[in-house]
Formats: sequence, C-alpha cells, structure tokens
Amino acid sequence: MRNLFSPSRAALLLFFLAAALLPLALDPRGHLIRVAAMVLLFAAMAQSWNIVGGLANQISLGHAAFFGLGAYTSTLLFLKLGVTPWIGMGVGAVVAGGAAALLSIPTFRLKGHYFALATLAFAEVMRVIANSLGDVTGGPVGLSIPFMGSQPALFAFRSVASYYWIILGLLVAVCAVFHLLASGAIGYRLRAVRENEAAAEVAGVDTFRVKLTASVISAALTAVCGTVFAQFTFFFDPDSIFSLSGISVRMAMIAIVGGLGTLGGPLVGALFLIPLEEVANAVLSSQAAGLSQFAFGVILIGAILIQPRGLMAYWLRTPWAKTRRAAATGA
Amino acid sequence: MMSAPLDRRRTAGLMLAVGAATFAFLAAPARAADDVLVGVIQPLSGPNAQFGIGAQRGTELAAEIINAAGGIQALGGAKIKLVAADVPTPNTAAAATQRLISQNGVSAVVGAFVSSTTLAASEVTERAQIPLVTFAFADQITGRGYAYVFQVSPKGTAFGAAQFDYATAIAKAAGEKIDKVAILYEDTAYGTAQAKGLREAAKAAGVEVVLDEAYPLGITDVSPLVNKLRASGAQIAFPVSYLNDSLLIIRALRQQNIDIPVIGGAAGYIIPDFKKGLGAYADGVLSVAAASGDMIPDLARTYKDKYGTFITHEAIIHAAALDAVAKAMEKAKSADPQKVRDALATLDYCGGLAAGVPGGCITFDKTGLNTSSFPIMVQWRGDAPVTVYPPKAATEKPVWRGKTVE
Amino acid sequence: MIQALVDGILLGGVYGVISTGLSLVFGVLGVVNFAHAEFLMLGMYVAWFAWRYLGLDPLLGSALSFVIVFAIGYLVQRTLVQRVLKAPPAAQVFLTVGLMIVIENAALMAFGSDYRSVSVPYQVEGYRLGDIFVGAPYLFAFVAAVVLAGALWLFLERSWSGRAIRAVAQDPMAATLVGVDTRRTYALAFGLGVALTAFGGAVILPYITVSPTVGGQFVVLMFTVVVLGGLGSVAGALAGGIMVGIVQSLSALVFPIQLQNLCLFVIFIAVLALRPQGLIKGA
Repeated sequence: MRNLFSPSRAALLLFFLAAALLPLALDPRGHLIRVAAMVLLFAAMAQSWNIVGGLANQISLGHAAFFGLGAYTSTLLFLKLGVTPWIGMGVGAVVAGGAAALLSIPTFRLKGHYFALATLAFAEVMRVIANSLGDVTGGPVGLSIPFMGSQPALFAFRSVASYYWIILGLLVAVCAVFHLLASGAIGYRLRAVRENEAAAEVAGVDTFRVKLTASVISAALTAVCGTVFAQFTFFFDPDSIFSLSGISVRMAMIAIVGGLGTLGGPLVGALFLIPLEEVANAVLSSQAAGLSQFAFGVILIGAILIQPRGLMAYWLRTPWAKTRRAAATGA
Repeated sequence: MMSAPLDRRRTAGLMLAVGAATFAFLAAPARAADDVLVGVIQPLSGPNAQFGIGAQRGTELAAEIINAAGGIQALGGAKIKLVAADVPTPNTAAAATQRLISQNGVSAVVGAFVSSTTLAASEVTERAQIPLVTFAFADQITGRGYAYVFQVSPKGTAFGAAQFDYATAIAKAAGEKIDKVAILYEDTAYGTAQAKGLREAAKAAGVEVVLDEAYPLGITDVSPLVNKLRASGAQIAFPVSYLNDSLLIIRALRQQNIDIPVIGGAAGYIIPDFKKGLGAYADGVLSVAAASGDMIPDLARTYKDKYGTFITHEAIIHAAALDAVAKAMEKAKSADPQKVRDALATLDYCGGLAAGVPGGCITFDKTGLNTSSFPIMVQWRGDAPVTVYPPKAATEKPVWRGKTVE
Repeated sequence: MIQALVDGILLGGVYGVISTGLSLVFGVLGVVNFAHAEFLMLGMYVAWFAWRYLGLDPLLGSALSFVIVFAIGYLVQRTLVQRVLKAPPAAQVFLTVGLMIVIENAALMAFGSDYRSVSVPYQVEGYRLGDIFVGAPYLFAFVAAVVLAGALWLFLERSWSGRAIRAVAQDPMAATLVGVDTRRTYALAFGLGVALTAFGGAVILPYITVSPTVGGQFVVLMFTVVVLGGLGSVAGALAGGIMVGIVQSLSALVFPIQLQNLCLFVIFIAVLALRPQGLIKGA
C-alpha cells in the first residue's frame, strides 16, 4: 500500500499549498501574478502533453493544434453565438478530442521521429486552415476577447488573481488526471506499449485503443488550456496559437526539462523555464535584439546536456525520495 | 558521454539559486524619481525585427530631441525615459505590456509596428487603463470602441484605397486608362486589411480586379504568382507585402520582361533594403506610405547622420507618436496615465515632430484615429523614396512609364 | 502546365540538395536535426559576405559556404551533438531545438535584422523556349545543385571516408570492428550534412534574400522532402525535393497559392501513415 505521507507527495502538497497562498502576497492586478499564472498554465499544458509524451512516449510536436482548437472553439462560440466560454471550453475539449482520434488513425503506428514530424505537420495544417478561412476564423487578423469588465458567468474578470485561481484549479485537475492514468490500469498498459509494443499486443493489450484513449484525453485537456489561455491573454491569432516554437515545442520542452513521464516534471520545468524566460526578456531585451532568446537557448542546451533526464532526476537522487525511487522512475 | 564527473548536487543548488534570484528580480521595483517613463514595445527579434528596430530608433530619436529641448516643461523639465520590451510575436505582447505597466509604472505605451501584436497589447492597456499610441493600422485597432488606444496613421483599408486611387489618378494624368488591375497580398493582418481597401476602391471605380491572390507569409517561390499575373492581363499590379516577397516579385517580373507598373503597399517597398536588394531596378517603383523623410527634413538628416540610412516611415510615425504623448503630458501637467489619456483624446496641435505625419497635425477622434492624416504616395529616386502624390504633399512630380506627369 | 512542371523541377532540384544534408545526418547519426535550416542561413550569410567583400558570385561563394559551415558543423557535432547520441530521442530533439534558437539569435546579434541580398547581372535575365520561360538564377542554382549531388554521390561511393560514412550508417558496431573511427565519422557526416545545406543556401541567394529568420521558411519544407524520400536516404531526398517542387508548382495552378503548403502537409501526413519508409527506396 502507498504511504500517504511519502516525501514526494509531501513535496507536491507543499507546491500546491505555496501556489494557493501566493496570491495573498502579490498585487492582484500586477505583473508578478501574471507570470505566476503563466507558470501554472504552462505547467498544466506540459502535464497534458506528458500523458502522451511521457506515459506513452510518443513525442508530439503538434499539440498546438489542440490548444488552438480549444481557443478557437470557445472564442468563436462566444463571439458568434453568445455561448459562454465556460460551455465553449467543454465543446472545445470534445472537438479537440475528436481531432486527436482522427489523427490517431494515420499516426498510431508511427514511432519516435516519425510521430513527431506527423504531429508537427498536423499543427501546421491547422494554422494554414485558420489563416485561410477568414470568414469563420477572422483569418490572420486573429480574434480578440471583448473587454467587458468583470463578468464571471462569461469568464471575464478584472483582476489577474481570479484567472490565477482558475488556472490553479485547472492544474490540480490535470495533475489528478495524469496521476489516475499513470497509476491506473491504463498506465500499466501504456508502459507496456512503451517498453515493447509487440509484446504488449501478444499479452492481450489493445494497443490502438490504449494509445487512442491517452491521446484523446491529452488533446481534450490541452484544448481546455487553450480556452483558458485565450480568456487570459484576451487575443490570439493563427500564427501565435498554432505556433511550433511558442506552443508545441514549449509544452514538450517544459515536460522534458522537468522530467519526462513524472508527475512533478511539468511543475518543476515550468517553474524553472517560464520565469527564466520572463527575466531574460525583461533584462536583456533593451540591451541587444536577440540576446534574451539567445540566452534562453543556451540555458536550454545546458539543461539538456547536464541532465538529459530532467530536473526531477535531482529530486529522485535526494535521500528523502530514495524510498520512492523505484515507483517514481517506473511511472 | 559526460567527460568530467559533474557535481550534480552543486548544479541543482545553482539552478535553485537561479530560480530564487529570478523571482527576487521580478519583485524588485524599478522606478526612477524624476523621469517620466514611457514604454516602447517593438518586435526587436524575429521576422519583423527589421521594422521594429527602425521604429524603435524613431522613438529614441524623438525622446532625445524632446529631452534636449528641455523635457516636459509642465513637469519641471522632467526627462522622458523609454523602457523597451521585445515583442517578437503576439503571444509575448500581453506579458511584456503588463510588465511595463505594473513593473516599470509607465505612463503610456508606444508601439508595436505589427498589427496583430498591437491588437494583443491593446487588450492589456485597455484593461489597465494606460494609453497606447501606435502606428499599426489594421482596421480593428480603432474599430473596437476602445478608449485608450490612439492611432497616428489612417486605417489599413484607407491605405489600400489610397494605393488604388492615387495610382489610377497618376495613370490618368499620364493619359492611360486603367480597366484591369491585380492584387497580390500576403495573408497577414496587414496584408488582408489593405487588400480589402484596394478591392473596395476598385469596385467603387468600376475597375475589374482580374487577379486577387493571397499567398502565405514567407513564400519562397513566387513564380506561380507571377505566371498568374502574366496571364491575367492586368495593367497595374498592387502587391502588399513585407520585404522578401517584394524583392522576389519585382525580380521575377523583370526576368519575364513584364513591364506593368508595380505600386507597392508600404512595408517592404519603402525601406533601405529594398534598394539594396534591387539596385537600379528599384528606381521608379511607386508605393503608398504613411510618411516620408522629405516632409520633415531636419529629423531625416539627424536620423541619417546617426544610423546611416534614410529615415523610414515607421521611424517618423513612431517619433510623432512619442511627441503626441509628450504634448499630452504638457497639456495634462501630469504623467498620470488617466490624465495623459484624457489629454491625448482632446489633443489638437500641428508642427513639432507631428510635422512628419502627412497633414502635419495630430487630432484624435472618438475612436482614437488621427483624423488629420492621410496616406501619401512615394516613388524611388536614387537612394530614397520621395513624395509624389497627392499634390498638396508632393515634393516632386510622379513619373509614369518613364515620363514625368504634370 | 508544362511551365509549372519546369518551374517545379528547377526549384525541386535545389530543395533536394538542401534536404540531402538533413537526410544524411539522420541516416548516419539517427538524430533529427531541427537546427538544420539554420545552417542554410549561415551558408547564405557566408556567400553574401563573400559577394560583398570579395566580389565573389554566390555560385562560386557557395564553395566557401560549404567549407566554413562544414567546419562549424564538425565542431558543433564534436562539442554538443555527440553528447546526446545515446540519450533518449526527446533529449536529442530538444538539444537541436535549443541549437536552432541559439544560432538564429546569434545571427540576429551578429548581422542585425537587415534583409540582405546580392545583385548579380543574371538576376533579372531569363530564357524563353516557345511558351516556356526559365529564370536564369533558378536555372543556374539547379545546375549547381545537380553538380553537387553528383559530387556527393562520387564521394560516398568511391572515397574511403564516404564508405566509412555509409558503413557507420548501416552498422556502427561492425564499422568499428573493421577500423572505422565512428566518432570522427559522425562528426564528418554531420559537417558534410550541414555543409550541403549551406551550399544549397548559397546558390539560391540570387533569388532569395537572407535574414536571421530565413531558416524558418525552410524547416517544414525540408522535413517534407526528407520524409517523402525516406528519412536517411540521400538519393531519396533528391527525388523527394523534385517531387515537392512539382507539387508546389502544380498545386498553385488549381488551388489558391495560400493553400500551397496545405497540399504539401496533407501529402506529408499521408506518406508518413502509408509508407513511413518513404516513397523511394534507396541507399
């Protein structure tokens, strides 16, 4: 039986406790809380990605497709039909889940680099479509969330703190889903598929179905993040919401820098990368054009060379985590 | 493959320290006492960096000029201090703008050459109630009924309409009647808005649009485009694009000996690199523009001495945008964002750096649009474009198919 | 129609050479190099400087691009890529993504954001054969690409180093046993891969401007070419390049040009799904 108060679990509880207390210390309409909210949102995105990337070991470079589908579905439903983004968020999740199911048909046999490339192309397809269907999507001009003061029923708030709470809730939910999947029956099947697909199939695992379930759940959660992102930043356009480097790569990067396939990885990765990028921008962007991005790239390379298993590897090496090591590396 | 055994725990400690320092930095307030702070957001990296840097230079030059002339007199000669932020993509705009507002405490924000980035930034400034003065001209910017956004130049569709109207007027004066035109544009916010203006103007004038083609940003091969253009029988081509596409299109036309006049849609057609890329083939190319150096010779000279190239329209307009902010502070006798906004809304002045804006004045209407400005048409002469149309702004006469039009 | 076919072949030949490098790197090292297009950009800059300060035509300057970028690639492989060869694919992917960010922004800092282009006399010339029209820079770039492809083939077939590269691609262990220095061969293959791409960048300089972000325009295109031809197949990449060029040209006849890339991506996904080993099988 699992120890309810294992060090890993305690660390996780501590993280969420700190996250819950943070807004009390920050200006509710300031910049810091926006950065903090971004950290949590990207952690949630990376955790959603982690379901496919970490558990099934399918390196997707196209999750921006689902992210954008979520943002577009909820925003268009609101702008054209007046449907509140709270409902739009659910519709977006269903749409993205459906898209993931469709994409699974041609890609489920693909592995490693091939899968990465196919998903990358899928996100590009979505970007081109959003750009060309100007009548429906607003085209390259993008979509704005109209400014209408504080209207909780319509997912609009004046203070950043309100968004922060919502995002924190989302992150908790995504982490819970990840944990359930990882420790449940489907997690074992996914791991079996990851280690040896042929063997898993012989052992009676319906590999297609297992992978399909994982990618549909992952896509639906990513779409929810997309809706929240749109509401939170008020504006998006096809090139930024379906961006390879801005969204797809970043989601995966956070999970990988933190620790692929671990529950804590996306949290650690986001906590490390997002503030770092923000500081690089704040300090360096008035120095020389390109310097901040350059520094960011150098740090990324450094992080991967020094610890290719991600920052979580440091935690797993501490004496507290030693007891849980076997379980954690297995997950 | 790690050669030396790294002290991993030390590395982990180092990373934690970096993280802690990060938050400590973000939390530290950065505010100087007597200066007034104005935020500048521009794409300083990424594909539009070329334009962002030009715009940034214009703003910096304007700040130097205003400060050298004694700063904001009404605030005891307070100096304008610019706080720059790089916004390579719309995704980064919200966070960067928020940072300038709450971290640096800027009184106003100037910039974001790119329309979509400006739209993203304006959603933040509107909610934070900080004035944003911009050059970007997609129609949506002033079309949302926002109170804190001010646009120094006309709308994108107005540029499109002017591109068509001015060109056909010049052709007519040269004795050529235009029946068929072609519109080629890149599928960005700027390209689609301006193409819409072109299309509507052509319809209003009863001229047939024989080719109306959008193409993706960063197109690597324009030959299909030029093949279509050649087959269409258009008498004038109106391309709306950034630089790379503009060079490709003009070169492909010259290769195929297609000599129909090309009327550029600003952006890539009026920057120094256009000439560098095309050499003598740049000469005589017409383009619509928001401003031109020959309308404000002093600023143009200072700019050229300092940066070595002729002043671009994004530099002129952003200089005027900062000037408007400074004038509003004078008028409000305050650097409080709300008061600066109210002063901007009722601003009505001519001269100063606003002389670089066609019409020479700045007066914002209810939507925040500068009603006194209008697009101009420029034509390449030697190393720089000169203003050739409309006659009230022109410094030289236009040339159509090699002959000067009176 | 025939015009579009000719345009497509001329363009595709160059795509082929550019992508051959990417395919070579994957075939030998097993690493998908997301930073590959940045070396195209570096090659273009080298050729531009050679033109500006030495007066070299980019078609000749391409040799310089090849040599300099080869050296850079060799070093990058020895210092960075070599370390992740045994790491999980995720680490490989993100090392090269990091490299992509670093190179692009280093170029931005070093060269500024200006778009640079050369001016050479044949830039605005063209040849006409009946209804068919051929732009001189496209033709010259195609010829240069074909010459280089031939040289590459000779190198891989005849030279000892070339055979070593092929041996390591097939079986690194066996190659080591017969006396091939695999580390050196990996670096050689990586250097050669990026140098080929840099060469391709140099020869298209007469009709494409260079800026720090030019690589971004080619990334997806290069991957499409390589996947069509089969990842790791050098000959396949050449054929894939010509196919992509033709698809681009022909689709422009039927669809709006805006949707040009859409056709490409759909074909890309379909090929991956149906024949992940590529449409063309080869060495």
